[in-house]
Amino acid sequence: MSAEEEAMEAISKRLGERAQECRIAAPRRICVLVRCGSHRDAISALLERFEFTTISTITGVDLGEDIELNYHLWCGRTEVTVKTRLPKIRPDVETVTDILPGAALYEREAFELLGVRFLGHPGLKRLVLPDSWPEGQYPLRRDWKPEIAGLEFPQEADSVAIGAEGENRGSTVNVVFGPQHPALHEPERFLFKLDGEIVVDVEPRLGYAHRGIEKGAEKLMFFQATHLIERICGICNVAHATCFCQAVESLGGIEVPPRASYLRTIVHELNRLHSHLLLLGVAGMEIGFETLFQYSWRDREMVLDLTEKATGNRIMAEYNAIGGVRRDLDPIVGEEMKKVLSGIKRRAAFYKKLLGEDPTFGLRTRGIGVLKAAEALRLSVVGPVARGSGIKMDVRRHDPYAAYGEIPFEEVAYGEGDSWARFMVRLDEIAQSVDIVNYAIEKLPSGPYRARVPRRVPEGEALGRVEAPRGELVHYVKSDGTAYPQRVKVRSPTLANIMSFREMIRGCYVADIPAVLASLDPCFSCTDRMAFLDVKSGMKWFWSLEEIKRRRLGKP
Amino acid sequence: MILDTRFFFRVLVFPGFLFLFSFTLFCDWFERKVMARMQNRMGPSYAGPFGILQPFADWVKLLTKEDIVPEGAGGLALAIAPIISFSLLVLSMLYFPLDGANAFSNEGFEGDLLLVLALVTFANFLLFLLGWSSSNPYSGIGAVRIMTQFVGYDIPLTILSLGPAFLAGSLSLSRIASVQKVPFALVIPWVFAFFLLALQAELEEDPFDTPHAETEIAAGYWTELTGRKLAFVRFSEDLQVVFGAVLAADLFLGGPYGPAFELGHGLPIVWFVLKALFIIFMLEFVEAVCARLRIDQVVRTNWKLMVPLSLLSLALVTFCIPFVQSATGGA
Repeated sequence: MSAEEEAMEAISKRLGERAQECRIAAPRRICVLVRCGSHRDAISALLERFEFTTISTITGVDLGEDIELNYHLWCGRTEVTVKTRLPKIRPDVETVTDILPGAALYEREAFELLGVRFLGHPGLKRLVLPDSWPEGQYPLRRDWKPEIAGLEFPQEADSVAIGAEGENRGSTVNVVFGPQHPALHEPERFLFKLDGEIVVDVEPRLGYAHRGIEKGAEKLMFFQATHLIERICGICNVAHATCFCQAVESLGGIEVPPRASYLRTIVHELNRLHSHLLLLGVAGMEIGFETLFQYSWRDREMVLDLTEKATGNRIMAEYNAIGGVRRDLDPIVGEEMKKVLSGIKRRAAFYKKLLGEDPTFGLRTRGIGVLKAAEALRLSVVGPVARGSGIKMDVRRHDPYAAYGEIPFEEVAYGEGDSWARFMVRLDEIAQSVDIVNYAIEKLPSGPYRARVPRRVPEGEALGRVEAPRGELVHYVKSDGTAYPQRVKVRSPTLANIMSFREMIRGCYVADIPAVLASLDPCFSCTDRMAFLDVKSGMKWFWSLEEIKRRRLGKP
Repeated sequence: MILDTRFFFRVLVFPGFLFLFSFTLFCDWFERKVMARMQNRMGPSYAGPFGILQPFADWVKLLTKEDIVPEGAGGLALAIAPIISFSLLVLSMLYFPLDGANAFSNEGFEGDLLLVLALVTFANFLLFLLGWSSSNPYSGIGAVRIMTQFVGYDIPLTILSLGPAFLAGSLSLSRIASVQKVPFALVIPWVFAFFLLALQAELEEDPFDTPHAETEIAAGYWTELTGRKLAFVRFSEDLQVVFGAVLAADLFLGGPYGPAFELGHGLPIVWFVLKALFIIFMLEFVEAVCARLRIDQVVRTNWKLMVPLSLLSLALVTFCIPFVQSATGGA
């Protein structure tokens, strides 16, 4: 029995008649439509059957009369989408946070953007929109327009205390960390409850870099949206573009030429290399090891030069397109890549030795910010954070895409679960990425590097998954048969990981906050994606493409 | 009283204020350049040859900036603390026998070693006051950290600086320097090593730079400082590094006296400068290869490691004195 059939059997056995529709949408993708209210049973059936079940995200789609909730679950070898539909006039649904705590943030997101009320959720609050956003305005509903929100609403400061007034007595103090802070490279706010120098609790607040990309993508044609999607994040832009293109390709049944798959893999790995080297430097910076920062950023510069030679751009690669890639790889550049990357591999080995032996680095990272494997699974963390806790979870391996199915590589995992293990995972992955790129350059198939694709995409829905440098990245794309997507949903790895920060940091010292946070490699622009906000006037508005063009030409 | 021009020249120009001022700026440049080269960077390179004027340019620029006093900050303490701490450090520097004699053209007095250590402690206490009175939580935490660290590491530093004093049989800075036919760094190398480590903590450099850990508490106690105050506090910090280097050079490397023979008039200062730069190089080297410790780790290192070690090494020095004195034919 294949993995897909096994998962389908698990659900239909438990639900029987209540599973209304059950189909294999694509290899390793199952779609199950369950009757309203039965989604909890379906999810718990999967949790019982498959030990390593994690939740990727919850996508809400406005279907007009109904709101459809898609629970995307990864069950070890297949991605199961459990669908349920709620009437829009009364969108109440039971929470799944009690059986799957990792879903808490996704439920909050669906709550504020689509107005779904999750009954029994422990803290159903806003996640990315401001606290003073008007009640009853749900930006991702299809009938919502920026005009009806009322463009002005009062701006209030976010709360400055965790818990009720009475709890904050004695030696506990509440300290706000961010949105502007030297340890954070992007705006984000953390509210810490401290007892002396010990962290008791933390509450992250997202949304300071929200740009409305999900909503904006609905206004663009698929091929245009690729460019917008790429701008979700500067560091892992290649991962976002690859993920989106793959989702659209699987939707349209587009066959990507093998050469394009290999080229995608190469640039994707270069992207990972630069991201991991960047993080290593940031880690050095956070714990006051500035020499490490300077060294690893210098190495990163070499990777950026290679990226520029291969794609034409240093950071925003603009390399992926629906149906393939934009540029071919010059064999001379390929040779240079191999040469430079072997140097990077030597550096990675040197850093690994250094960080393994250096006493001060060890004092600041070993045994600090521990996330146990069971806890990591419960919170559905992804990427190097999960692998640092000993959970082997790598989309490249378990759900191969691009050319990863044909390239041999070892999955890295460390069992310690502390900050040190998370940094070590990334160092090992640097060496491994070099090997992957070398292999891909040597085995690069000949042929075209891009297929011609129609603008219209057939009706349907697809889920793209890639292993971004920070972990599993999920894009859900739904098309209604036109050239415009009906819904694009992005779940960045940081959103999956940010919940675990609370588990890691409790009981640590204040001085550990930056180091532990860096070990998560948080990327907040990935996580926030909506709306312009002028805090002074409290104005919030969306810009159409025409307006942006007009403004760029200097004609207000 | 007749104005003694020589006295004023020595206090204000050489080896007094003006010399110390330019030497401090030079040391700042040296520090930045060494650090930059160790970190694979260029370091200052535009102002003057090899960027040697960069610290001066920075200082002048800060002097011209607006002086902002935050609301609710303790006005008087905030205003005078930078100046007083700066003055105390300059005063303590005047006691070193920079060119064989101190700035007051005498040999100093018995016990000026303890005086300069006390003056520097006062200067640091003023920095604490500064952070505490600037009504910013980051400054407050930074100030508390200075105090915690300083109170701790002052003890091993003082104990360890007694090692050379015991060997020389004197508490006078110039006497300790002048008796070293063989530098004490070679006679009692373990004391020298621990002294440098304690000095590193005293000067708040990595791995002990917790009082201004940027990623935790922004700029620490000077977060709220701008303009002239910042210029003076930054200068005090640099002066403190020079003080540490000069103290170590005086106690362990023989100060203004050459390793084997005496140089002619005016040259002692060259020896002193070279030795101080050597010490700064050592401090920077440690800073470049270390990550920052947490404040609890800093405190633990002090009480569990540095204090017992310094007492032990002092006991060992006491035990060694007769042998050393007979071997070197010293004091």
